[in-house]
Amino acid sequence: MKVRDGVGLALVNLRKRKLRTVLTTMGVTVGIGALVAMISFGQGMEKNVTASFSALELFNVLTVFPSGPSAFGRDPDEPGPRPEATAGPAKVLDDEAVAAIAGLDGVEAVYPEVNFPALVGLDDREDLQLVQVIPAKVAATKMFQVKWGRPFGSDDEPAVVVGESVLRRLKAGDPAAAVGRTLRISSVTLDLSAFNPADLAAFLSGRKLPVAKEKHEFPIVGVVAQRPFAGPVGLQSDVFLPPGPARSIKRLPFRNVWDLLRMQDGRLGYASLTVRLVSPRDLERVKAAVRDLGFTTFALSDQFAEIRRGFLYLDMVLAAVGMIAIFVASLGIMNTMLMSILERTREIGVMKAVGALDADVRRVFFVESSVIGLAGGLAGYALGWVVSRLINGVVNALLARQGVPAIDYFAFPVWLPLGAVAFSVLVSLLSGVYPATRAARVDPVAALRHD
Amino acid sequence: MVFVRTRRLTKVYSLAKVRVAALEDVDLEFDAGTFAAVTGPSGSGKSTLLNLLGGLDRPTEGDVEIGGKALAGLDGDGLALFRRFEVGMVFQSFNLIATRTAAENVEFPLLFAGVGRAERRTRAFRLLDQVGLSGRTGHLPGELSGGEQQRVAIARALANTPRLLLADEPTGNLDSRTSREIVELLSGLVRERGLTVLMVTHEEALAREFAREIVSLRDGRVAGREVLR
Repeated sequence: MKVRDGVGLALVNLRKRKLRTVLTTMGVTVGIGALVAMISFGQGMEKNVTASFSALELFNVLTVFPSGPSAFGRDPDEPGPRPEATAGPAKVLDDEAVAAIAGLDGVEAVYPEVNFPALVGLDDREDLQLVQVIPAKVAATKMFQVKWGRPFGSDDEPAVVVGESVLRRLKAGDPAAAVGRTLRISSVTLDLSAFNPADLAAFLSGRKLPVAKEKHEFPIVGVVAQRPFAGPVGLQSDVFLPPGPARSIKRLPFRNVWDLLRMQDGRLGYASLTVRLVSPRDLERVKAAVRDLGFTTFALSDQFAEIRRGFLYLDMVLAAVGMIAIFVASLGIMNTMLMSILERTREIGVMKAVGALDADVRRVFFVESSVIGLAGGLAGYALGWVVSRLINGVVNALLARQGVPAIDYFAFPVWLPLGAVAFSVLVSLLSGVYPATRAARVDPVAALRHD
Repeated sequence: MVFVRTRRLTKVYSLAKVRVAALEDVDLEFDAGTFAAVTGPSGSGKSTLLNLLGGLDRPTEGDVEIGGKALAGLDGDGLALFRRFEVGMVFQSFNLIATRTAAENVEFPLLFAGVGRAERRTRAFRLLDQVGLSGRTGHLPGELSGGEQQRVAIARALANTPRLLLADEPTGNLDSRTSREIVELLSGLVRERGLTVLMVTHEEALAREFAREIVSLRDGRVAGREVLR
């Protein structure tokens, strides 16, 4: 039998049982659709995270923590990466350390993590925010994406850059219009002149603390767009000041008791340093050099291998869910084919009586099931695409209300449509194996018996 | 010249542990170009004999030889090719495919023989013309009378130009006038094409009128053989 005639025969047979063929194909469509949506979601997640990591140049950033018991570097109750503690004498991250690291080959910039809680105000609204000090040099890099206005011109410019979310909390309205307005920053400082030793008991019980509030005003020169994924390491807050004006703000030299426990000989040092490298290639070398200086390091690229593994697991779980749908669809194909054999026993008998080989009979049924698979695969890919577009639209619409910019949560790599259709045909062929074998085994004498 | 020969042909069915011999030690010979009728009561083994001659079934013992070729030596595919090219079969219940037109039914064997579409069409139309159905090519079996359906079945049996035609009660579902027409058609094929036709039938009278010889079976054995002309 010619291949074309075999296909023609199968198509005629499928057309004769339109409704059943359509229903079976729909089963495959749903299965492949689910699989495609699941896989494209996994792919999309991976692509987005990888892309935003590279866009923010996070692969050439190294975070340095002091060593020793202070290796935690940051508050133990603060979320975030925890580098392992190193042995040896504790070293303080002071300006000397900053200079030493800045002098290493391949280092572009080093800046300490300096931040302090402050009350931030615009017009009559106020909000508690962590103010972070960022050198102008760093503010000009990709890591720091100023969407409206501009970053600071110099380290001494009396200016502030704020995040979009701060403006929303302060009900400032249009972020573009916020550029040029004045932001109030109120900090808390020790006021020893208000400290009366006679009131020691009151001080220790917290009833009368020798502190005072200090108010400063800075023009907003730039607004940073909100990011769909967590912000980069080293940029943890939403209000940024250059070092010059930051120095003029009197504030407590520590943020909490953890900082005091970290203290060495009364020297506090910085909680951490952010080191920007010229290229990600220098990472390992600089990391080793910094460790030699006696500090602990953390690099996001170390985490990235783990993140990738996480995505592999995610993909596998998503694919497993899709596979359940495919399995159900293949049962549907098998059921349809077996039913069709029962109905067509006499026809199979005729095929054999007029000289069809067992292989011819098998082929007719294989072609029938693979046509279902092909149609289901194509329609399934289309369904998966449409559904993921819809979900993407809905999710983006919901997140837009929280100011998260729209992104594509699903990715459709080139291999996905080809793979989906090929897989669908393969599954259908496999589901057709048993029915086709049974059809080929039909006894023509019994099938053609007059009754 | 002997064209069809059976040697000690035996077919035994095991039904619920009981051995039933449908055919036992049947030795028969038919010349090329004969029109033979096989008669006998129900269960005498007529249909079994035809299925064995047509290569649809395999004997328990003994062998069938058609045109000098022993069927016992053929494997499954060999037997299928034998059915495709060497023999045509016609059944009591026509066994047409209900969803295919008369022409498509006749084309069906040509499909497996790998004949191209245009050639299939031409041959099907010519065969239907030869059995007197030139005006019914596009009709479905359900739209045809019993006699017409059996003519389509005969045309189908002839599609791959076999030399042997086996007809199992071809008139069993037809009225007497139509029955006569069908047997006449078969007899004509023998006369005009030199076809060898073996026909299982209940109808003594028709057999006597048209067949050259009559073989009667009883309980799976040959009970008698009569050459009429």
